[in-house]
Amino acid sequence: MKKVYQHTLPNGLKLIGECIPSAKSASIGYFVKTGSRDETAKEAGISHFLEHMMFKGTASRSALDIAFELGSLGAKSNAYTSEEATVYYGAVLPEYFAELQSLLSDMLRPALDSKEFDLEKKVILEEIALYEDRPHIYLFMQAFDEYFGSHPAGNNVLGSTASVSAITRDEMKNYFDRRYSPSNMVLVAAGNFNWDVFVSDAEKLCGHWQRFETSRNTDPYQGVQIKKTYTKKDINQSHVLLVAPGPSDQDDLRYPLGIYANIVGDSTGSRIYWELVDSGLAESADADCDGKDGTGCVLAYACTEPERLDQVTEILKRVLRESTDITQEELDRAKTKILTRMVLGGELSMGRMRALGHEWLIRERIHNLEEEIEKVKAISLTDIKSAQEQYPFDNWSEFRLIPE
Amino acid sequence: MSNSITTKTLDNGLTIILEEMSDLKSVAYSLMIPTGYIYDGNDKIGASILLTELTSRGAGNRDTKALSNAFDDLGVRHSEGAGQYYTTYRGSLLSENITEALALVADMVQRPKLPEAEIDNVRSLMLQDIQSMYDNPSRRVMTELGKLYYPDPFGRSSLGEVDGIKNTKLSDLKQIFDTRYSPNGAILSIAGNINAKAVLASAENLFGSWKGERIEIPAFGKWPERKMHHIGTDSSQLQIAVAYPSVKFGEDQYYVARVTAGLFSGGMFGRLFIEVREKRGLCYSVYLSHSASGLSGANVVYAGTTTERAQETLDVIFDELGRLKGTVSDEELARSKANIKSSLVMSEESSGSRAVSNSIDWWWLKRIRTLDEIQGAIESVTTNDIDKYLEDFPVGMPMIVTLGSKSLEFKGA
Repeated sequence: MKKVYQHTLPNGLKLIGECIPSAKSASIGYFVKTGSRDETAKEAGISHFLEHMMFKGTASRSALDIAFELGSLGAKSNAYTSEEATVYYGAVLPEYFAELQSLLSDMLRPALDSKEFDLEKKVILEEIALYEDRPHIYLFMQAFDEYFGSHPAGNNVLGSTASVSAITRDEMKNYFDRRYSPSNMVLVAAGNFNWDVFVSDAEKLCGHWQRFETSRNTDPYQGVQIKKTYTKKDINQSHVLLVAPGPSDQDDLRYPLGIYANIVGDSTGSRIYWELVDSGLAESADADCDGKDGTGCVLAYACTEPERLDQVTEILKRVLRESTDITQEELDRAKTKILTRMVLGGELSMGRMRALGHEWLIRERIHNLEEEIEKVKAISLTDIKSAQEQYPFDNWSEFRLIPE
Repeated sequence: MSNSITTKTLDNGLTIILEEMSDLKSVAYSLMIPTGYIYDGNDKIGASILLTELTSRGAGNRDTKALSNAFDDLGVRHSEGAGQYYTTYRGSLLSENITEALALVADMVQRPKLPEAEIDNVRSLMLQDIQSMYDNPSRRVMTELGKLYYPDPFGRSSLGEVDGIKNTKLSDLKQIFDTRYSPNGAILSIAGNINAKAVLASAENLFGSWKGERIEIPAFGKWPERKMHHIGTDSSQLQIAVAYPSVKFGEDQYYVARVTAGLFSGGMFGRLFIEVREKRGLCYSVYLSHSASGLSGANVVYAGTTTERAQETLDVIFDELGRLKGTVSDEELARSKANIKSSLVMSEESSGSRAVSNSIDWWWLKRIRTLDEIQGAIESVTTNDIDKYLEDFPVGMPMIVTLGSKSLEFKGA
């Protein structure tokens, strides 16, 4: 049977573990509460750039040592950065778990070598160029920047070619010293591993990390209503993104509104799907809540042919505005979809690790799948109606991307 | 330890494969039908894709919405798609609902409504999907590479062609359905927390009376001459896609090819990643993959880089491809093996991976490989085997496709 444990080291590093003895692998991840929203304008892109630098050498390992060691462990390892968090993780066969823990822990104290820094900057600039060539990603990045204005929740994860080019190694060191306190992260393990050994190894590997104060601007954001159209050369399809205020990651209204968004905007079988995708009007269309730390938004997106963009946008808005007549049948169906996804997602150790890590970063709680399932099950039509009254899904900002 | 696997081939030619995975709550199914877009007529490329999509628009006594709702009410995450050689119906769900889910699949493949009123909608989605492919440079370059590298019909785009989709009529779809949606040679693979005996009985009941003829795969024609092609566009990056021959799935050197692909592109330690990205910072994305079916095999290389650094990227890639022979260390070999081994074991944890992998094994090999067999084969690969493989399958003159604002020069491997 699975069992969940937690422990906090004296320097504030939180440890959480879910032991699943029947698992054939074990996953481990460092979840750091830092992302693009914690950057100054001058630092735009630095969280993501630093994430790359964690693989580029420590006091005792070169970049190649890290790459080769991950290879020798057969580790399925990677990292990602969002507006809210930076995560370093890996999965291995149980016999390599301790070695992976040791390696990842060393990586979290990077050398930030100048030569590696200059080289990796080129890779980041390539990554920015790559996403500039992907129309829908390009639109999302532009739109968030515009919608959130000076509020940090909309800061672009990649930064711009100009901002990344200007970042120096010392600025990155300062950012690291400001954000990577052990008290600002959680180390999570899930799968087939030994909790006691994990804790004692963490003490040895991370116990000496210096703790310092960290903070984050979590001011609420009321949203704005703006309309903007971007153009891009050499594209065929058009895209529209609507953004409106939504529940934050701490707001319990995220449960009823999440279900509501599923009924109205899931990528299949939702009201938007039947109106826009099943009918062939839009290639894809969906709506969802996008909760953030202290604030949040609702997003609705569609991709279609340029000549149908007006029509598709109008239908999208109409469905979102007029869906006040949710039926019990729709509610039950949405719950089944959501609950099945939750159970299937929790089946692999990687899925449990992610749920535990993000839950702690966002709400400082231990993720309990059974409790979450009960919360979803308990939502009634009345709950949805009153949540909808608070977030009526109608004060849209509208962003479009069309061929030049 | 491997899970218990049961197989049974019914009188109509359908093979049912069941794997019991008692630690899970889920179950996954994968139905493979022996028809795909390589069978589409030259002026109707994409018809099979359209047909498969249309089978989800109502089947049995349910119309399109009722069918979709029935899947959702069972919590099934499902997908249907026509591929090259076969058409698949796949899904994942909680194991208690498997029989009801299979009943919906049985309706789709045996009793679809194929509503004429929905054809234009599906057609519109497919045509838009092609436009989106053109808007995504890395997807586009790989699509173009397939078309140029393989003899037709084996390199066709998985999205179909604009003209073919426009030309296809309901009568064409009905004809494809009547002649090619056949259980003869089809495979239904189910893996997860199931009672194999009970699920087998339900599956026999649902699919046992399905009838159809066996379909033969067309022979490969003349392979196109391999050379460089350039497609001019205005994108920020230049896309590079390369293909050259390798072993087929199931052939003697298959595992040697897998281990070799790992040496180039496994995890973060592969030579292409190290030389192109880590040491020179030329790319964000660069990889080599061994792409194999039971009928052909190829090594496929991809890189996306800014235009001014593209020539150096191409040169470094081919230097590395040409340099491997005689230079593989034991440590390097061990890393590639460890990486493959851990992927194998981890895939044993997922019902979806098992269902798909069992069905593909049966499709090409007519048996299921055991974990021990694959691990043993990987373990036994030596550096001599790798050198021999590199000799047997040299890079030579590969097919190279570049897409972007400038063409490149190929200087040899």
